[in-house]
Amino acid sequence: MYNVKIDCSVAKKVIADDMILTKGVATTAGSKMLEGFMSLFTSEALVRLEEKGYGLVGKAKVGEFGFDLLGETAVNGALTADGVLKLAAAEAVLANEADVALTMDINGSVRRAAAQTGLVSVKPTYGTVSRYGTIPVACSGETVSLMAKNVADVKDALAAVAGHDPKDGTSLPDSMYVTDAATPKRIAVLTDMLANVNADVKAKVDSAVAALKADGIEVVEVTNDKIAAAKVAWNILMSAELCNNVSRYDGVKFGYRTPNFTNLDELYMNSRTEGFGELLKTAILFGSETLSTDNYMKVYDKALRIRRVVVEEFKRLFQEFDAVLMPACSTLEYTVDAVNNDKYMAFNENFYTAPASISGLPAVVAGGVQLVGKAFSEDKLFTLAEKLEKEGK
Amino acid sequence: MDREILRRLELLNQLKLTEAEKEDVLSFFAAREAEHKVLEAIDTANTERMVHVMPIDTVVREDVVVKMFEREDLQAQAPETDEGYWCVPKVME
Repeated sequence: MYNVKIDCSVAKKVIADDMILTKGVATTAGSKMLEGFMSLFTSEALVRLEEKGYGLVGKAKVGEFGFDLLGETAVNGALTADGVLKLAAAEAVLANEADVALTMDINGSVRRAAAQTGLVSVKPTYGTVSRYGTIPVACSGETVSLMAKNVADVKDALAAVAGHDPKDGTSLPDSMYVTDAATPKRIAVLTDMLANVNADVKAKVDSAVAALKADGIEVVEVTNDKIAAAKVAWNILMSAELCNNVSRYDGVKFGYRTPNFTNLDELYMNSRTEGFGELLKTAILFGSETLSTDNYMKVYDKALRIRRVVVEEFKRLFQEFDAVLMPACSTLEYTVDAVNNDKYMAFNENFYTAPASISGLPAVVAGGVQLVGKAFSEDKLFTLAEKLEKEGK
Repeated sequence: MDREILRRLELLNQLKLTEAEKEDVLSFFAAREAEHKVLEAIDTANTERMVHVMPIDTVVREDVVVKMFEREDLQAQAPETDEGYWCVPKVME
Protein backbone atom coordinates (compact mmCIF):
# COMPACT_ATOMS: atom_id res chain seq x y z
CA MET A 1 0.00 0.00 0.00
CA TYR A 2 2.74 2.42 0.98
CA ASN A 3 5.87 3.53 -0.80
CA VAL A 4 6.82 5.30 2.41
CA LYS A 5 5.08 4.99 5.79
CA ILE A 6 5.45 7.70 8.43
CA ASP A 7 4.68 7.55 12.12
CA CYS A 8 2.04 10.17 12.74
CA SER A 9 0.15 10.84 15.93
CA VAL A 10 -2.06 13.76 14.92
CA ALA A 11 -5.84 13.31 14.90
CA LYS A 12 -6.47 14.08 11.23
CA LYS A 13 -4.37 11.94 8.93
CA VAL A 14 -3.68 12.34 5.23
CA ILE A 15 -2.03 9.97 2.82
CA ALA A 16 -0.53 11.52 -0.32
CA ASP A 17 -0.15 9.56 -3.50
CA ASP A 18 3.30 9.35 -4.99
CA MET A 19 2.64 12.10 -7.54
CA ILE A 20 2.59 14.66 -4.71
CA LEU A 21 6.00 16.06 -3.82
CA THR A 22 7.05 15.82 -0.18
CA LYS A 23 10.24 17.37 1.17
CA GLY A 24 12.37 14.82 2.93
CA VAL A 25 10.19 11.90 1.83
CA ALA A 26 10.86 10.12 -1.46
CA THR A 27 8.47 10.72 -4.38
CA THR A 28 8.71 8.15 -7.16
CA ALA A 29 5.69 8.79 -9.43
CA GLY A 30 5.46 5.00 -9.47
CA SER A 31 8.34 4.91 -11.94
CA LYS A 32 11.82 3.46 -12.01
CA MET A 33 12.76 6.81 -13.52
CA LEU A 34 12.23 8.55 -10.17
CA GLU A 35 13.01 5.79 -7.68
CA GLY A 36 14.36 7.42 -4.53
CA PHE A 37 13.79 10.96 -5.79
CA MET A 38 13.83 13.47 -2.92
CA SER A 39 12.02 16.70 -3.61
CA LEU A 40 13.39 19.96 -2.27
CA PHE A 41 9.94 21.19 -1.36
CA THR A 42 6.45 20.01 -0.43
CA SER A 43 3.39 20.47 -2.61
CA GLU A 44 1.26 23.50 -1.81
CA ALA A 45 -1.85 21.37 -1.28
CA LEU A 46 -0.13 19.25 1.36
CA VAL A 47 1.36 22.33 3.04
CA ARG A 48 -2.15 23.78 3.33
CA LEU A 49 -3.52 20.55 4.77
CA GLU A 50 -0.71 20.44 7.32
CA GLU A 51 -1.45 24.05 8.28
CA LYS A 52 -5.00 22.93 9.04
CA GLY A 53 -3.82 20.19 11.35
CA TYR A 54 -3.53 17.19 9.03
CA GLY A 55 -0.52 14.94 9.45
CA LEU A 56 1.11 12.93 6.67
CA VAL A 57 1.00 9.17 7.30
CA GLY A 58 2.78 8.14 4.13
CA LYS A 59 3.05 8.03 0.37
CA ALA A 60 0.68 5.71 -1.45
CA LYS A 61 1.74 3.60 -4.42
CA VAL A 62 0.59 4.87 -7.81
CA GLY A 63 0.77 3.53 -11.33
CA GLU A 64 3.60 4.99 -13.40
CA PHE A 65 3.04 8.77 -13.51
CA GLY A 66 -0.55 8.21 -12.38
CA PHE A 67 -1.49 7.50 -15.96
CA ASP A 68 -2.93 4.00 -15.77
CA LEU A 69 -6.16 2.31 -14.79
CA LEU A 70 -5.68 1.62 -11.07
CA GLY A 71 -2.00 1.43 -10.27
CA GLU A 72 -1.20 -1.66 -12.35
CA THR A 73 1.97 -0.13 -13.82
CA ALA A 74 3.59 0.79 -10.48
CA VAL A 75 7.30 0.00 -10.64
CA ASN A 76 7.17 -1.93 -7.38
CA GLY A 77 4.11 -3.93 -8.38
CA ALA A 78 0.39 -3.35 -8.37
CA LEU A 79 -1.67 -3.55 -5.19
CA THR A 80 -4.11 -6.42 -5.53
CA ALA A 81 -6.47 -8.44 -3.38
CA ASP A 82 -7.88 -11.77 -4.55
CA GLY A 83 -6.76 -11.03 -8.10
CA VAL A 84 -8.46 -7.63 -8.19
CA LEU A 85 -6.62 -4.32 -8.66
CA LYS A 86 -6.78 -1.81 -5.81
CA LEU A 87 -5.71 1.82 -5.66
CA ALA A 88 -3.40 2.19 -2.68
CA ALA A 89 -4.61 5.62 -1.58
CA ALA A 90 -8.21 4.39 -1.47
CA GLU A 91 -7.25 1.27 0.44
CA ALA A 92 -5.48 3.37 3.07
CA VAL A 93 -8.65 5.38 3.65
CA LEU A 94 -10.79 2.24 3.75
CA ALA A 95 -8.43 0.71 6.30
CA ASN A 96 -8.74 3.83 8.50
CA GLU A 97 -5.04 4.53 8.12
CA ALA A 98 -5.88 7.96 6.74
CA ASP A 99 -8.91 10.23 6.94
CA VAL A 100 -8.19 11.80 3.58
CA ALA A 101 -6.20 10.87 0.49
CA LEU A 102 -4.48 13.66 -1.44
CA THR A 103 -4.12 12.45 -5.01
CA MET A 104 -3.61 13.48 -8.61
CA ASP A 105 -6.48 12.80 -11.00
CA ILE A 106 -4.79 12.56 -14.39
CA ASN A 107 -6.64 9.85 -16.21
CA GLY A 108 -9.47 9.10 -13.80
CA SER A 109 -7.93 6.44 -11.54
CA VAL A 110 -9.00 8.26 -8.37
CA ARG A 111 -12.63 8.49 -9.48
CA ARG A 112 -12.64 4.85 -10.57
CA ALA A 113 -11.29 3.80 -7.18
CA ALA A 114 -13.85 5.90 -5.31
CA ALA A 115 -16.69 4.44 -7.35
CA GLN A 116 -15.48 0.89 -6.85
CA THR A 117 -14.88 1.19 -3.10
CA GLY A 118 -17.85 3.37 -2.14
CA LEU A 119 -15.60 6.24 -1.07
CA VAL A 120 -16.32 9.89 -1.81
CA SER A 121 -13.95 11.84 -4.05
CA VAL A 122 -13.81 15.29 -5.56
CA LYS A 123 -11.96 16.39 -8.63
CA PRO A 124 -12.32 20.13 -8.16
CA THR A 125 -12.80 22.75 -10.85
CA TYR A 126 -9.53 23.12 -12.76
CA GLY A 127 -7.39 25.83 -11.18
CA THR A 128 -9.10 25.65 -7.77
CA VAL A 129 -6.33 23.71 -6.06
CA SER A 130 -2.69 24.57 -6.67
CA ARG A 131 -0.69 22.04 -8.65
CA TYR A 132 2.56 23.53 -7.33
CA GLY A 133 4.61 20.62 -6.11
CA THR A 134 2.89 17.92 -8.13
CA ILE A 135 4.57 15.96 -10.89
CA PRO A 136 3.25 17.32 -14.18
CA VAL A 137 1.81 14.85 -16.68
CA ALA A 138 -1.26 16.18 -18.50
CA CYS A 139 -1.25 19.76 -17.28
CA SER A 140 -4.28 21.08 -19.13
CA GLY A 141 -6.70 18.75 -17.35
CA GLU A 142 -5.09 17.11 -14.35
CA THR A 143 -6.11 18.26 -10.89
CA VAL A 144 -5.22 17.63 -7.29
CA SER A 145 -8.10 15.54 -5.94
CA LEU A 146 -9.31 14.37 -2.57
CA MET A 147 -10.86 11.16 -1.37
CA ALA A 148 -12.40 10.21 2.00
CA LYS A 149 -15.03 8.00 3.57
CA ASN A 150 -17.71 10.65 3.65
CA VAL A 151 -18.74 13.95 2.08
CA ALA A 152 -18.00 15.98 5.21
CA ASP A 153 -14.34 14.91 5.27
CA VAL A 154 -13.88 15.63 1.57
CA LYS A 155 -15.47 19.07 1.99
CA ASP A 156 -13.25 19.83 4.97
CA ALA A 157 -10.12 18.88 3.07
CA LEU A 158 -11.14 20.77 -0.06
CA ALA A 159 -11.78 23.91 1.99
CA ALA A 160 -8.25 23.58 3.35
CA VAL A 161 -6.49 23.26 0.00
CA ALA A 162 -8.59 25.43 -2.33
CA GLY A 163 -7.65 28.98 -3.20
CA HIS A 164 -5.24 31.01 -5.28
CA ASP A 165 -1.57 30.18 -5.23
CA PRO A 166 0.78 32.60 -6.98
CA LYS A 167 3.30 29.79 -7.41
CA ASP A 168 1.01 27.99 -9.86
CA GLY A 169 0.42 29.81 -13.15
CA THR A 170 -2.87 27.96 -13.69
CA SER A 171 -4.22 28.70 -10.23
CA LEU A 172 -7.30 30.87 -10.59
CA PRO A 173 -7.31 34.34 -9.02
CA ASP A 174 -9.62 34.64 -6.02
CA SER A 175 -11.82 37.04 -7.97
CA MET A 176 -12.86 34.19 -10.26
CA TYR A 177 -14.27 32.02 -7.48
CA VAL A 178 -18.02 32.34 -7.77
CA THR A 179 -19.28 29.36 -5.82
CA ASP A 180 -22.65 27.95 -6.74
CA ALA A 181 -24.28 26.43 -3.66
CA ALA A 182 -27.90 26.81 -4.75
CA THR A 183 -30.15 23.90 -3.86
CA PRO A 184 -30.03 21.42 -6.75
CA LYS A 185 -33.39 20.58 -8.29
CA ARG A 186 -32.82 18.85 -11.62
CA ILE A 187 -30.14 16.53 -12.83
CA ALA A 188 -29.49 14.78 -16.12
CA VAL A 189 -28.42 11.17 -16.56
CA LEU A 190 -26.16 10.83 -19.57
CA THR A 191 -27.46 7.63 -21.14
CA ASP A 192 -24.59 7.43 -23.68
CA MET A 193 -22.44 6.43 -20.74
CA LEU A 194 -24.64 3.50 -19.74
CA ALA A 195 -24.47 1.39 -22.88
CA ASN A 196 -21.37 -0.62 -21.95
CA VAL A 197 -21.44 -0.72 -18.16
CA ASN A 198 -22.04 -4.03 -16.42
CA ALA A 199 -25.03 -4.89 -14.27
CA ASP A 200 -23.31 -3.87 -11.01
CA VAL A 201 -22.57 -0.37 -12.26
CA LYS A 202 -26.04 -0.04 -13.81
CA ALA A 203 -27.48 -1.01 -10.41
CA LYS A 204 -25.43 1.76 -8.75
CA VAL A 205 -26.75 4.29 -11.24
CA ASP A 206 -30.34 3.08 -10.78
CA SER A 207 -29.96 3.19 -7.03
CA ALA A 208 -28.55 6.74 -7.13
CA VAL A 209 -31.34 7.91 -9.41
CA ALA A 210 -33.95 6.37 -7.13
CA ALA A 211 -32.38 8.00 -4.07
CA LEU A 212 -32.29 11.42 -5.67
CA LYS A 213 -35.85 11.12 -6.94
CA ALA A 214 -37.00 10.08 -3.47
CA ASP A 215 -35.38 13.27 -2.17
CA GLY A 216 -37.33 15.44 -4.59
CA ILE A 217 -34.73 15.81 -7.34
CA GLU A 218 -36.08 15.69 -10.87
CA VAL A 219 -34.04 13.26 -12.95
CA VAL A 220 -34.11 13.40 -16.74
CA GLU A 221 -32.35 11.05 -19.15
CA VAL A 222 -30.40 12.82 -21.89
CA THR A 223 -28.19 11.67 -24.72
CA ASN A 224 -25.16 13.53 -26.02
CA ASP A 225 -22.71 11.87 -28.39
CA LYS A 226 -20.41 14.90 -28.38
CA ILE A 227 -19.66 14.63 -24.68
CA ALA A 228 -19.14 10.92 -25.23
CA ALA A 229 -16.40 11.81 -27.74
CA ALA A 230 -14.33 13.40 -24.97
CA LYS A 231 -12.36 10.20 -24.39
CA VAL A 232 -10.82 10.18 -27.83
CA ALA A 233 -9.81 13.82 -27.61
CA TRP A 234 -8.48 13.45 -24.06
CA ASN A 235 -6.35 10.46 -25.07
CA ILE A 236 -4.72 12.70 -27.67
CA LEU A 237 -4.20 15.76 -25.47
CA MET A 238 -3.13 13.75 -22.44
CA SER A 239 -0.55 11.79 -24.41
CA ALA A 240 0.81 14.86 -26.18
CA GLU A 241 1.25 16.64 -22.86
CA LEU A 242 2.78 13.57 -21.27
CA CYS A 243 5.27 13.34 -24.14
CA ASN A 244 6.42 16.90 -23.48
CA ASN A 245 6.37 16.69 -19.70
CA VAL A 246 8.49 13.57 -19.45
CA SER A 247 11.06 14.79 -21.97
CA ARG A 248 12.92 16.23 -18.96
CA TYR A 249 13.80 12.73 -17.76
CA ASP A 250 17.03 12.07 -19.60
CA GLY A 251 19.34 10.67 -16.94
CA VAL A 252 21.42 13.82 -16.60
CA LYS A 253 20.20 16.14 -13.84
CA PHE A 254 18.06 13.81 -11.74
CA GLY A 255 16.29 10.49 -11.91
CA TYR A 256 17.46 7.16 -13.23
CA ARG A 257 20.71 6.96 -15.19
CA THR A 258 21.59 3.80 -17.03
CA PRO A 259 24.97 2.24 -16.30
CA ASN A 260 25.05 1.11 -19.96
CA PHE A 261 26.36 3.91 -22.17
CA THR A 262 29.43 4.92 -24.11
CA ASN A 263 28.23 8.29 -25.42
CA LEU A 264 25.58 10.94 -24.73
CA ASP A 265 23.01 9.50 -27.14
CA GLU A 266 23.24 6.11 -25.47
CA LEU A 267 22.92 7.74 -22.06
CA TYR A 268 19.67 9.43 -23.08
CA MET A 269 18.28 6.46 -24.98
CA ASN A 270 19.13 3.75 -22.48
CA SER A 271 18.16 5.80 -19.42
CA ARG A 272 14.71 6.48 -20.85
CA THR A 273 14.24 2.99 -22.26
CA GLU A 274 15.18 1.32 -18.98
CA GLY A 275 13.54 3.97 -16.77
CA PHE A 276 10.05 4.06 -18.30
CA GLY A 277 7.50 1.25 -18.38
CA GLU A 278 5.72 0.00 -21.47
CA LEU A 279 2.43 1.88 -21.07
CA LEU A 280 4.26 5.14 -20.61
CA LYS A 281 6.54 4.53 -23.60
CA THR A 282 3.53 3.75 -25.75
CA ALA A 283 1.76 6.94 -24.69
CA ILE A 284 4.93 9.01 -25.25
CA LEU A 285 5.21 7.70 -28.80
CA PHE A 286 1.52 8.25 -29.44
CA GLY A 287 1.67 11.78 -28.05
CA SER A 288 4.73 12.53 -30.14
CA GLU A 289 2.97 11.29 -33.27
CA THR A 290 -0.09 13.49 -32.64
CA LEU A 291 2.23 16.51 -32.55
CA SER A 292 4.06 15.61 -35.76
CA THR A 293 3.82 17.82 -38.82
CA ASP A 294 1.55 15.33 -40.56
CA ASN A 295 -0.86 14.96 -37.65
CA TYR A 296 -0.81 18.23 -35.77
CA MET A 297 -3.80 19.80 -37.52
CA LYS A 298 -5.65 16.57 -38.23
CA VAL A 299 -5.31 15.10 -34.76
CA TYR A 300 -3.99 17.45 -32.06
CA ASP A 301 -5.68 20.62 -33.29
CA LYS A 302 -8.90 18.69 -33.82
CA ALA A 303 -8.76 17.43 -30.23
CA LEU A 304 -8.42 21.01 -28.96
CA ARG A 305 -11.53 21.96 -30.92
CA ILE A 306 -13.39 18.96 -29.58
CA ARG A 307 -12.50 20.16 -26.09
CA ARG A 308 -14.45 23.36 -26.80
CA VAL A 309 -17.33 21.32 -28.23
CA VAL A 310 -17.48 19.28 -25.01
CA VAL A 311 -17.32 22.40 -22.85
CA GLU A 312 -20.11 24.03 -24.87
CA GLU A 313 -22.28 20.92 -24.66
CA PHE A 314 -21.88 20.81 -20.89
CA LYS A 315 -22.67 24.52 -20.73
CA ARG A 316 -25.87 23.89 -22.65
CA LEU A 317 -26.84 21.08 -20.27
CA PHE A 318 -26.13 23.22 -17.22
CA GLN A 319 -28.64 25.80 -18.41
CA GLU A 320 -31.29 23.18 -17.66
CA PHE A 321 -29.68 20.91 -15.09
CA ASP A 322 -27.73 21.30 -11.86
CA ALA A 323 -25.50 18.31 -12.54
CA VAL A 324 -24.95 15.44 -14.92
CA LEU A 325 -24.89 11.96 -13.46
CA MET A 326 -22.79 9.25 -15.10
CA PRO A 327 -20.78 6.21 -14.08
CA ALA A 328 -17.07 6.54 -13.31
CA CYS A 329 -16.20 3.10 -14.67
CA SER A 330 -17.75 0.20 -16.56
CA THR A 331 -17.25 -2.39 -13.82
CA LEU A 332 -16.85 -2.41 -10.04
CA GLU A 333 -13.64 -4.41 -10.21
CA TYR A 334 -10.73 -4.84 -12.59
CA THR A 335 -9.13 -8.23 -12.34
CA VAL A 336 -5.41 -8.59 -12.85
CA ASP A 337 -6.14 -11.09 -15.62
CA ALA A 338 -8.35 -8.63 -17.48
CA VAL A 339 -5.68 -5.94 -17.33
CA ASN A 340 -2.97 -8.36 -18.39
CA ASN A 341 -5.07 -9.24 -21.41
CA ASP A 342 -5.70 -5.59 -22.25
CA LYS A 343 -2.82 -3.51 -20.96
CA TYR A 344 -4.19 -0.40 -22.68
CA MET A 345 -7.51 -0.60 -20.84
CA ALA A 346 -6.88 2.82 -19.28
CA PHE A 347 -7.27 4.36 -22.74
CA ASN A 348 -10.79 2.93 -23.05
CA GLU A 349 -12.05 2.94 -19.51
CA ASN A 350 -11.45 6.70 -19.32
CA PHE A 351 -14.57 7.02 -21.46
CA TYR A 352 -16.33 7.76 -18.17
CA THR A 353 -13.81 10.13 -16.65
CA ALA A 354 -12.50 12.03 -19.68
CA PRO A 355 -15.48 14.42 -20.04
CA ALA A 356 -14.71 16.10 -16.70
CA SER A 357 -10.95 15.89 -17.26
CA ILE A 358 -10.93 17.54 -20.66
CA SER A 359 -13.39 20.26 -19.67
CA GLY A 360 -11.90 21.11 -16.26
CA LEU A 361 -15.31 20.69 -14.62
CA PRO A 362 -15.72 19.48 -11.05
CA ALA A 363 -16.70 15.86 -10.51
CA VAL A 364 -17.79 14.30 -7.25
CA VAL A 365 -18.00 10.54 -6.89
CA ALA A 366 -20.37 9.22 -4.22
CA GLY A 367 -22.56 6.16 -3.93
CA GLY A 368 -20.62 4.57 -6.77
CA VAL A 369 -21.64 7.19 -9.36
CA GLN A 370 -20.10 10.38 -10.71
CA LEU A 371 -21.74 13.80 -10.61
CA VAL A 372 -20.31 16.45 -12.92
CA GLY A 373 -21.27 20.08 -12.45
CA LYS A 374 -20.49 23.46 -13.90
CA ALA A 375 -17.32 25.23 -12.79
CA PHE A 376 -17.29 26.14 -9.09
CA SER A 377 -20.43 24.10 -8.32
CA GLU A 378 -18.67 21.75 -5.90
CA ASP A 379 -21.04 22.71 -3.06
CA LYS A 380 -24.02 21.80 -5.18
CA LEU A 381 -22.44 18.46 -6.07
CA PHE A 382 -21.71 17.83 -2.40
CA THR A 383 -25.38 18.46 -1.58
CA LEU A 384 -26.35 15.78 -4.09
CA ALA A 385 -23.63 13.48 -2.75
CA GLU A 386 -24.98 13.93 0.78
CA LYS A 387 -28.37 12.77 -0.43
CA LEU A 388 -26.76 9.63 -1.85
CA GLU A 389 -24.79 9.16 1.34
CA LYS A 390 -27.94 9.51 3.46
CA GLU A 391 -29.72 6.95 1.32
CA GLY A 392 -26.81 4.54 1.54
CA LYS A 393 -26.79 4.48 5.35
CA MET B 1 1.56 4.18 -38.84
CA ASP B 2 4.20 1.76 -39.96
CA ARG B 3 7.49 0.46 -38.70
CA GLU B 4 9.53 3.20 -40.35
CA ILE B 5 7.49 5.94 -38.68
CA LEU B 6 7.73 4.06 -35.41
CA ARG B 7 11.51 3.86 -35.78
CA ARG B 8 11.65 7.63 -36.26
CA LEU B 9 9.40 8.20 -33.25
CA GLU B 10 11.63 6.00 -31.10
CA LEU B 11 14.67 8.00 -32.16
CA LEU B 12 12.92 11.33 -31.62
CA ASN B 13 11.84 10.34 -28.12
CA GLN B 14 15.07 8.57 -27.20
CA LEU B 15 13.36 5.24 -26.66
CA LYS B 16 14.18 1.77 -27.90
CA LEU B 17 11.42 -0.84 -28.11
CA THR B 18 11.76 -4.59 -28.24
CA GLU B 19 10.17 -6.43 -31.17
CA ALA B 20 7.28 -7.54 -28.96
CA GLU B 21 6.75 -3.98 -27.73
CA LYS B 22 6.74 -2.72 -31.31
CA GLU B 23 3.92 -5.09 -32.20
CA ASP B 24 1.93 -3.91 -29.18
CA VAL B 25 2.54 -0.26 -29.94
CA LEU B 26 1.48 -0.70 -33.56
CA SER B 27 -1.77 -2.31 -32.43
CA PHE B 28 -2.26 0.52 -29.93
CA PHE B 29 -1.80 3.09 -32.71
CA ALA B 30 -4.25 1.20 -34.93
CA ALA B 31 -6.87 1.29 -32.16
CA ARG B 32 -6.35 5.01 -31.63
CA GLU B 33 -6.51 5.77 -35.35
CA ALA B 34 -9.76 3.84 -35.59
CA GLU B 35 -11.34 5.83 -32.78
CA HIS B 36 -10.33 9.13 -34.37
CA LYS B 37 -13.29 8.62 -36.70
CA VAL B 38 -15.47 9.65 -33.75
CA LEU B 39 -13.81 13.06 -33.83
CA GLU B 40 -13.95 13.40 -37.61
CA ALA B 41 -17.73 12.94 -37.43
CA ILE B 42 -18.03 16.13 -35.36
CA ASP B 43 -17.94 19.31 -37.40
CA THR B 44 -15.47 21.76 -35.86
CA ALA B 45 -15.00 24.03 -38.87
CA ASN B 46 -16.43 26.97 -36.95
CA THR B 47 -15.14 25.98 -33.54
CA GLU B 48 -12.11 27.67 -32.02
CA ARG B 49 -9.43 25.56 -30.37
CA MET B 50 -9.51 25.51 -26.59
CA VAL B 51 -6.05 25.26 -25.07
CA HIS B 52 -6.96 26.42 -21.56
CA VAL B 53 -10.24 25.40 -19.99
CA MET B 54 -10.29 28.48 -17.80
CA PRO B 55 -10.19 32.02 -19.18
CA ILE B 56 -6.91 33.01 -17.63
CA ASP B 57 -4.27 35.00 -19.44
CA THR B 58 -0.62 34.27 -19.17
CA VAL B 59 0.20 34.98 -15.58
CA VAL B 60 3.16 37.29 -15.13
CA ARG B 61 4.60 37.84 -11.70
CA GLU B 62 6.70 40.75 -10.56
CA ASP B 63 10.15 40.55 -12.07
CA VAL B 64 11.93 39.98 -8.79
CA VAL B 65 14.79 37.57 -8.39
CA VAL B 66 14.02 35.03 -5.68
CA LYS B 67 16.53 32.46 -4.61
CA MET B 68 14.64 29.22 -4.16
CA PHE B 69 17.23 26.49 -3.93
CA GLU B 70 20.91 26.04 -3.29
CA ARG B 71 22.98 24.53 -6.08
CA GLU B 72 24.23 21.82 -3.75
CA ASP B 73 20.68 20.78 -2.90
CA LEU B 74 19.66 20.62 -6.56
CA GLN B 75 22.72 18.61 -7.47
CA ALA B 76 22.18 16.19 -4.62
CA GLN B 77 19.70 14.41 -6.91
CA ALA B 78 22.07 14.20 -9.86
CA PRO B 79 23.51 10.86 -10.94
CA GLU B 80 26.96 12.46 -11.31
CA THR B 81 28.37 15.91 -10.61
CA ASP B 82 31.81 17.48 -10.44
CA GLU B 83 32.61 20.82 -8.78
CA GLY B 84 29.13 22.23 -9.30
CA TYR B 85 28.59 20.86 -12.80
CA TRP B 86 26.43 18.01 -14.07
CA CYS B 87 28.52 15.29 -15.70
CA VAL B 88 27.63 13.72 -19.02
CA PRO B 89 29.74 11.63 -21.41
CA LYS B 90 32.02 13.45 -23.83
CA VAL B 91 30.02 15.07 -26.63
CA MET B 92 33.06 15.54 -28.92
CA GLU B 93 35.46 12.79 -29.85
